[in-house]
Amino acid sequence: MLGLALLMLLAQAPQAKFDPHDLSGHWNRTSRFQTFSNVFSGQGNATGTAEAPFTPAGKAKFEANKPGYGPRAVPPAIGNDPMGTCDPLGIPRLLNTEVITPHQTMEIVQVPGRMIQFFEWHHDWREVFVDRQLPAADTVEPTWNGTSVGKWEGDVFVVDSIGFDDRTWLDKFGYPHSENMKLQERYRRIDADTLELTMTITDPEMYTRPWVSDTKLFRIDRAKSSRWDEQIYCVPTEEYKFNQRVRDEAGGRGAGK
Amino acid sequence: MVLIFSLSAFAHHGSNISYQVDKTITLDGIVTEWDYRNPHPQIYFDVKEKDGTVAHWATELLPTPLMLRNLNVGWSRTTVKPNDRITLVCNPSRVAGAKACLARELTLNGKSWPLGAGPGGPAPAARGARQ
Repeated sequence: MLGLALLMLLAQAPQAKFDPHDLSGHWNRTSRFQTFSNVFSGQGNATGTAEAPFTPAGKAKFEANKPGYGPRAVPPAIGNDPMGTCDPLGIPRLLNTEVITPHQTMEIVQVPGRMIQFFEWHHDWREVFVDRQLPAADTVEPTWNGTSVGKWEGDVFVVDSIGFDDRTWLDKFGYPHSENMKLQERYRRIDADTLELTMTITDPEMYTRPWVSDTKLFRIDRAKSSRWDEQIYCVPTEEYKFNQRVRDEAGGRGAGK
Repeated sequence: MVLIFSLSAFAHHGSNISYQVDKTITLDGIVTEWDYRNPHPQIYFDVKEKDGTVAHWATELLPTPLMLRNLNVGWSRTTVKPNDRITLVCNPSRVAGAKACLARELTLNGKSWPLGAGPGGPAPAARGARQ
């Protein structure tokens, strides 16, 4: 009875007020999948979707990517995850993998005309121009985080991006994309503490149809706003030394200490 | 058990595939180098083999961002020093003969050092509190 009464009280408790157009704050991803989509990984009890809708070229590029995570994981000594050389992770990988402890938060800052996302892991950021048109695709040089514009559709902030450097992966499992990938992100603040994100990539070179991510959820971390930035850089000289002296040794490619 | 879960959940790319996480070995040696940097702090140490030869070993600890938050148990750039005596329980490599392992339990000069957050001391977040 006591439990029931408590539940009723909680149900009647007023929800904290929030502005659905205010996305600012530090956010930690809380949803389960650290991949672009809940594609079946063969791990745990995950079911998800059967497999990515690869084209033959997409499948070949996927097979060429050798991740250090997931069902296809190989020792870093023989892998080629861009993370292993501190190459930029790019969008959307920054959004769907690393925004979780120990790599901490994504901070969203909204200023007139722009929304900026700061990623503590790799100390990277991306900017989204608001209410501006995307440039013609053939005028955009590929960049690590792409070229992005955003607009409000009701309470959903819709970000459209083009012009991605195809050396980045969609996620830590090694899903690929081409330079011609189009990405749409849809952000919605569900309540005072929760941000929802779904993504759709359209990339006919790699995937036979638009591929929709699982729903990513982020929880606001208000305490983070009172702590110093931990400055979690990926430093190539540090990573190289670690790989050479520890991971290559562990992977059977030791060059001596 | 909590520590083991933490190590698995937050391991850098390839930790679980590089090492036999279901097996442990125990090593006694003398520290030659401590590198408290990204992506994982590393201890390099020498182990005297039965035949008298010296084997050069390396071990990796938790991801450095987690170690930074574990300063309440004393981790710092000076925690480990050359010539410290180290006793290490660690997961061996999947490659036979490789002299690298993933640290699980660590003793320095007879004192046990937690690899995860421990009781007592200031809260981990206090280190980064704005003043």
